[in-house]
Amino acid sequence: MRRVILHVDMDSYFASVEQQVCPSLRGKPIGVTGRPTERSIVVAASREAKRYRVRTGMPVWEARKACPKIELVPGNPERYLSVTKRFIEILKEYTALLEIYSIDEAFLDVTQEEARHGGPIRMAEEIRRRFREELGECITATVGIAEGKTFAKLIGARSKPDGVGRLDPEEMAELLESTAVGDVWGIGPRITARLNRVGIRTLKELGRASERYLKSEFGVYGLHLLDVGQGRDSTPLVPYTDVPAPKSVGHSKSLPPDLRDFRLASIVLRDLCDKVARRMRRLGFMGRTVHCGFRVGSIGPHYGKQTTLDLPSDDGETFYRACLVVLDKIPVKPEQVSNVGVSVGNLVPTERTLCSLLEVDRRRERLNEAVDRIRDRYGDRSIQLGTSLLVRPIPQHVGGFFMASDDLEVG
Amino acid sequence: MLTPMNEPIDALVIYRRGAPHPHLRAFRWNDHRYDVTATHLIHHQREGAAVHLVYSVDCNGDTYVVRLDTGRGRWTLEALDTVD
Repeated sequence: MRRVILHVDMDSYFASVEQQVCPSLRGKPIGVTGRPTERSIVVAASREAKRYRVRTGMPVWEARKACPKIELVPGNPERYLSVTKRFIEILKEYTALLEIYSIDEAFLDVTQEEARHGGPIRMAEEIRRRFREELGECITATVGIAEGKTFAKLIGARSKPDGVGRLDPEEMAELLESTAVGDVWGIGPRITARLNRVGIRTLKELGRASERYLKSEFGVYGLHLLDVGQGRDSTPLVPYTDVPAPKSVGHSKSLPPDLRDFRLASIVLRDLCDKVARRMRRLGFMGRTVHCGFRVGSIGPHYGKQTTLDLPSDDGETFYRACLVVLDKIPVKPEQVSNVGVSVGNLVPTERTLCSLLEVDRRRERLNEAVDRIRDRYGDRSIQLGTSLLVRPIPQHVGGFFMASDDLEVG
Repeated sequence: MLTPMNEPIDALVIYRRGAPHPHLRAFRWNDHRYDVTATHLIHHQREGAAVHLVYSVDCNGDTYVVRLDTGRGRWTLEALDTVD
């Protein structure tokens, strides 16, 4: 049986939500940013701003150059998360086979349900109508319809904004011929460059490539690439009810210029360790492998090293000490660090770990429990480490500082 | 662009049966009544265990962002955007 996959992608999402909240922003080129400084980036551009070639991820100074009239709006992650939860609730009414791909994208397998709604196009139109009515007239979505996730996403991207696109099987050959490999979901700049080097530029050319070559060059992923090049896509949909356990938990932070000193960066790292540990406790995991990384200068190389703890932990202080061990191994400390990050892997469910009998560890556990309870009740910023006050210039309410995919919590 | 305010207000709301949140009809701020002519967006925001409802509403062409702390039943005018 042929699958019918819908890819629902919100149009200029964060910017559309801001235009919905504040009508004076409607019809204007706006950019949602993290911090209101020239060094910040545009997290989302409205469709009016996109006409001036303002793109997501563009530095603010560059966006102003491209569109001098652009209005910059500070982002409000909780607002977007709240709207996401509402549109997910709407989508859940259509099928249980719903994959929440990101804060503004979802895949639906409606193979069983589409006939009841008069076909996939009618279904897509109905979803879009409900979004307009229940979320707001500015919050629009584009729906791509195909037999697989990759092609649904591809055809949706070609129907943006505020449209519905369907890929019929007889249109596949033309699509394969006209699509550059780099335009396809899952084929990034590096893979594109490697394919281009051997003369593969379109999906059609990818489909004609030798299986042996693709497998030797890209491993098992090469077989998926070959499938896509031949118009087949069996990428499974992962329903929101069946999300696999995380393999690692991590946070990283780009630092503002006044915090790029190596010592201050390590204080930010302490905060990040605390956040990682809190998330792990919330998810019910402990981890043994601590990976610490940083970027030297504003565009310099990225360094990363890891260490393994004797026992699994979910304690921020333990992670931080492990990071210091990692950082101590660096022979020459850089003067400027623009980005720091920590991630903890080798995860095991907390209930499968042994309780420490040492009083010092038990006290630490009790302390973490107490801090978690205070934060659960009064908010994440209600209790903080004293050292965090030294790095106050980082505004924690913008730029996704505390948001993570598990914040979606749709059950 | 919205200008932050953060001032306490009195609100007139309707609790409709089955509705997920109260319907804001009007509010009083600085001894003046503002009748809501349109609601643009209502979203939830958490502050620890406290759930806040944030309304973006229109009153005679001006946009107001109004917050309800559902735990304490307190209303606040969070921001406003007046037409020049």
